[in-house]
Amino acid sequence: MMNEWKEIANTMGNTYLRKWKESGRAAVGYPCTYVPDEVIYAADILPYRLRGTGTTSSSIGDTYFGPVICSFPKCVLQLAGEGRFNFLDGTIIVPGCDSMRRLDECWRKAADDYKGILPGFFHYFGVPHKVTDYSLMWFYEETLKLKEKLEKHFGVTITDKALKGAISVYNESRKLLMQLDKLRVKDEPVINGEDALSIILASTAIPRDEFNKMLRKTLSQLETKKETIKGKKRLMLVGSINDDPEFMKVIEDCGAVIVTDTMCFGSRSYSDLTEEEGDPLFALAKRYLNHAYCPRMFGYYKPRLKNIMDRAKEAKVDGIILQNIRFCDLHGSENGIFERDLEKEGIPCMRMEREYGPLTESGRVKMRIDAFLERIS
Amino acid sequence: MIVAGCDVGSLTAKAVIMNGSILGYAVIKAKSKPEESAAEVMNKALEKAGLKMEDISYCVGTGYGRSKIPFVNLTMSEIACHGKGAQWIMPSVRTVIDIGGQDCKAMRLDKDGNILKFSTNDKCAAGTGRFLEVMAKLLGVSLDELGTISENAKDPLSLSSTCTVWVQAEVIHHLNSKKPVEDIAAAINRAMAIRVGILAKQVSAEKDICMSGGVAKNKGVVSHLEKVLGVKIKKLKYDPQIVGAIGAAIIAGEKAKGGKMS
Repeated sequence: MMNEWKEIANTMGNTYLRKWKESGRAAVGYPCTYVPDEVIYAADILPYRLRGTGTTSSSIGDTYFGPVICSFPKCVLQLAGEGRFNFLDGTIIVPGCDSMRRLDECWRKAADDYKGILPGFFHYFGVPHKVTDYSLMWFYEETLKLKEKLEKHFGVTITDKALKGAISVYNESRKLLMQLDKLRVKDEPVINGEDALSIILASTAIPRDEFNKMLRKTLSQLETKKETIKGKKRLMLVGSINDDPEFMKVIEDCGAVIVTDTMCFGSRSYSDLTEEEGDPLFALAKRYLNHAYCPRMFGYYKPRLKNIMDRAKEAKVDGIILQNIRFCDLHGSENGIFERDLEKEGIPCMRMEREYGPLTESGRVKMRIDAFLERIS
Repeated sequence: MIVAGCDVGSLTAKAVIMNGSILGYAVIKAKSKPEESAAEVMNKALEKAGLKMEDISYCVGTGYGRSKIPFVNLTMSEIACHGKGAQWIMPSVRTVIDIGGQDCKAMRLDKDGNILKFSTNDKCAAGTGRFLEVMAKLLGVSLDELGTISENAKDPLSLSSTCTVWVQAEVIHHLNSKKPVEDIAAAINRAMAIRVGILAKQVSAEKDICMSGGVAKNKGVVSHLEKVLGVKIKKLKYDPQIVGAIGAAIIAGEKAKGGKMS
């Protein structure tokens, strides 16, 4: 079963996606956890989270972005420019951070030079940085506008019933992923961080109901699994986006197991449920705006620190890796404060800056992890 | 008990043979294959100690090429080894700043030489031995001269960048403007010291502070770093390039005593 998860996680055009497209249905890409996938799913469109894995060059990304920009949106643009997202019928861009927000202009500009790379539906979805009564109303309207634009462009009607159905499927998915967490934090985990990440990646690339079916099956297999992980240092991963199971492997091969995280391809994507009562669109706006685990949200440092400490305690971690992609000002600056406050609480931390994209610096990463594991042993 | 430490770095390989004290050591320029560098430097160190490989009870490998050394019993990160090595040479040391050929690191230690905190530079030649090599070549001086001539600077210049690629353009501009080589050398060493000083501050450097690695031999960098940190950097009594290998040998001794021979 793990092989199937890995196959989905490592293949851009996975079998489920191909079948979905062959049945005549559309797929829409989005780059960040602040897009309510449920709205897309309720339109019978496949929400597909954009990733930049599989890039072998950054020639297109570097042409349109400035030099001091995170390599994640550059890699996404690279793949877009190479036509590798041409299977998408639409794309939603989000101001997850300043680098990500630029993906809108850069993708549009690149489309002047690389014909056919701009999908017919290309929508900028605004997300406020503060949670207040008025920002929630504004975000609700933005969510409503997204719904209406999808309806108009794809000629569909997104009913409240369909939205409630999508919320229920996604909530179930989140609960299943929380169950997976329980198997990771056991004294003797039955799944490592690398494999858990493959499952989480699949959640963003295949229809959620299919994902739930697969995950239920995997969970029942894991719950009775005899072979457990013993004698490894238990680590937590915090910081910038990582969608590369190989990065987890490099860390775990040093003699560690990643038992928990607060990453956006990780616990951040499933840690809050959406209310199933009342206006479904408003419930979604509330869930997504209040989802303050990303440092893009202003004024939530303390809850974020508490979230790390709670997860670290539950998972009995020996240490925390605070990593950020180079030029990630949000995570880069917050990691420094986390380090100060977590070490004060007696939790050993290691900060690490890295590049997103092909894992060419595994030697350097390995040296640091080795040294960190020696420090905490 | 005779033990050894072998440190295969990116530019040089070092080996130390110990028996409570140093019996012999060697430093060579690294070859393209780490295993060849390891064998050659180890043979040279053994030769100086008048010993053979069979006499070694336990050997610890470290450095960038550590996983490729065939004759070691254990490998450790260079961070742990530099900490142990510096503390053995000077027990009062609490912070080590190591500048190697390809990276630089700062480590804060406890009284036994164990690492409390470390920080390393990130995927960039700025603040490494390589940076100084490139700059020395540009100025047409040797690496040793780059350190000494900057002491004679009358009006040290500034560099706006520590990026090895960008700074070359600035240095060429200064050369073309007929600025004295001493003043440019001082700017280079100062830029290096500022860069490394950031790492030291990240680990909350405490006294005593010492330096290891080849760049510790550059007087210009050391004196600028003292200004940046506001404290005197203690000079180690051994070649700063072999601190990692000494640490590896110390760990080898500890492991051998613990009967953990593999």
